[in-house]
Amino acid sequence: MPQLRNVAIVGFAQLPIVARDEHRIATDMLYPVVRQALADCGVERDAIDYQVAGSTDYMDGRPFGFVSALDATGSWPPRQDLHLEMDAAFCAYYAWVRMQAGDCDTALVVGHGKSSEGDPNRILNLQLDPYYQAAIGLDPISTGALQASAYMARTGVTDRDLATIAARNRTAGARNPDNQLHQAATPEELMRSPWAVEPLRAAYLPPLGESATCLILAAEGKAEKMCDRPVWIHGTDHRAEMQALGGRDLSRSAGAALAARRAYSMAGLSAATDADVAELTALTPAEELILAEALGLDPSGSRPVINPSGGPICGHPIMMTGGIRLGEAFRQLSGRAGARQVAGAKRAIAHASQGHCLQQNLVWVLGSERRWT
Amino acid sequence: MKRPVAVVGVGQTQHAARRADVSIPGLVREAVDRALLDAGLEHKDIDAVIIGKAPDMLEGVCHPEQFLAGAVGAHLKPLLRVHTAGSVGASTALTAVTHVASGLYDRVLTIAFEKQSEGNAMWALSPNMPFTPPLVAGAGGFFAPYCRAYITRTGCPPHIGPLTAVNARANAARNPYAHLREPITLDDVMNSPMLWDPIRYLETCPSSDGAIAMVVASEEAAKKGPRQPAWVKSGFSYAEAMWVPGRDQVSPLAGRVCAKAVYDRAGITDPWKQIDTAEIYVPFAWFEAMWLENLGFCDVGEGWKIIERGEQKLGAHLPINPSGGVLASNPIGASGMLRLGEAALQVMGRAGEHQVEAAKTALGHAYGGGAQYFAMWIVSSEK
Repeated sequence: MPQLRNVAIVGFAQLPIVARDEHRIATDMLYPVVRQALADCGVERDAIDYQVAGSTDYMDGRPFGFVSALDATGSWPPRQDLHLEMDAAFCAYYAWVRMQAGDCDTALVVGHGKSSEGDPNRILNLQLDPYYQAAIGLDPISTGALQASAYMARTGVTDRDLATIAARNRTAGARNPDNQLHQAATPEELMRSPWAVEPLRAAYLPPLGESATCLILAAEGKAEKMCDRPVWIHGTDHRAEMQALGGRDLSRSAGAALAARRAYSMAGLSAATDADVAELTALTPAEELILAEALGLDPSGSRPVINPSGGPICGHPIMMTGGIRLGEAFRQLSGRAGARQVAGAKRAIAHASQGHCLQQNLVWVLGSERRWT
Repeated sequence: MKRPVAVVGVGQTQHAARRADVSIPGLVREAVDRALLDAGLEHKDIDAVIIGKAPDMLEGVCHPEQFLAGAVGAHLKPLLRVHTAGSVGASTALTAVTHVASGLYDRVLTIAFEKQSEGNAMWALSPNMPFTPPLVAGAGGFFAPYCRAYITRTGCPPHIGPLTAVNARANAARNPYAHLREPITLDDVMNSPMLWDPIRYLETCPSSDGAIAMVVASEEAAKKGPRQPAWVKSGFSYAEAMWVPGRDQVSPLAGRVCAKAVYDRAGITDPWKQIDTAEIYVPFAWFEAMWLENLGFCDVGEGWKIIERGEQKLGAHLPINPSGGVLASNPIGASGMLRLGEAALQVMGRAGEHQVEAAKTALGHAYGGGAQYFAMWIVSSEK
């Protein structure tokens, strides 16, 4: 491994997740979180070397939605810039790579887009192979149900087990004011909800929501000046898998497992259970179990505590959900997590995913202390 | 950049209006297979894959890199998807360069494609902005006023766009991969229908199916390759906001800033003298004169004179777009990477019939959005 720089997350802002922000376009939603994240770091836009935006054209229902985001990120005078058609967490990964290349010391990473402009389940159907899989009408709920079935068949996990996980997330999520769902729930309540697609019940799934997010990253030397408690990146890696649903074992996530192994190795994390918090982009309770297995976590969610934020089941703004996991890890390790603070949290795992059935996975290990001296 | 980065393999497809003989993965694989063969590598040698393309609406597949992951050998590898409008091919290659420069990756496969025959580019490139009546005129309708403003500002005569179009076709005739290879005359262009005043039919890029892939590698990895690489001396991408009062759309500040950044890093103080050839993003003929000024090859208002004097032709002082450029082949998402890849081929001495003699230093350039996104690199035959 090459000599790596210490890079930290020094700021994070998000809008509370809502089903639809009636009064603002995506650009207008983004502007206040950029301002807030910069203000929290005590800097103006000129102090930031690089910006990376994450969004997807289809969610905005038009090409080039990200071009408008340039107005919200203060792109005048011209800025060094990139846009990834990906979740904001992947944008943060690229900002980190760029800092490792020595090409910047500070970066603004935004996620934006209004999923209420269209029908996300129909849009995400279009992610599938257009020749063989999209045409049969699969959407993320039906592919998630196939994945849950595969996992349940392999492990013997039951509907009650899924309900228990969903209820734990919902109960934790009631303490997070940025969530779309704030009501704690019991497994029994959730098990009364109808099938969305069997074996997934409607109450096990995230509501469709929208938000805007801004992360600020800074390398050692700058980070300490921008944040009282910078949260340092100890290790990170991401892996894709082939898409074909019949071409991979849906009951496992080989990509998440490999990314975790490499991120832990970079971080010097000998066991995932040494981390205090894990924030996972699990879009169904079955995905949480698959990820716990891949990442080596205790599936009970006791240590590390899994999704103290409530996780995506309590709010899933597409293209931002992974970035929010990274932001939540920052909040936990910098003592900014309010009523959901895990006491004494020093190390966290954050996970982002994209695509049907965990096709792309990104794993971070973060710590309250610097990784390299 | 923390360490040197080189281009060790380039592969592109035969570009055409409709590649009905291949699926989207088939088209992309044609470029990938050629790039790997060129680099003397196999999929197992690749550490990461960076894919770029323009709006997903062009093919009607959302995040097509996910469906292509298997076809491009990205299974269990890092895969990133870039989208910066028309500049995307160039910014995608630069993203790959950063990955290698970081020391984290030794060989990165970077791919850009568009299969425009799958959809309707005119519709897909007509954004419907909130509170703004849609233009529904595609990119040509959007950029025509920029060209008209250039003509008004500089007093540029009416044959400059046509001269550019004729030269692009003359060059494309030497490029076996180009989509439009039939030579045209000045009269052909002048007599072709006016689409969006001042842009005529033959001053407009085609709509193409096409892809390009490159392998970028560390110095150590490059030395193991079968041939002389192209060294990346510098690469930057800049963007500027849309709604800035006084923003100069004819010669955007982001373009000037980006050009200065790549020249400074590469040690270029006089681009007209020190750059041997340039592949620049000219989707509508008038942009060639505009970018010559924006890129600092001449003074403001002088760009059209370079074209009138013929100094941009193959064999002249500064051959521009010896491949034929975007006016000859425009698979939108790939067009920017084609500029960078063609610049690399020139300094590797492997551009074939359109090789610029003794080219040592070349510029690759692309732009996108409302002339807001710029991405460029300088490549050289010497480290």
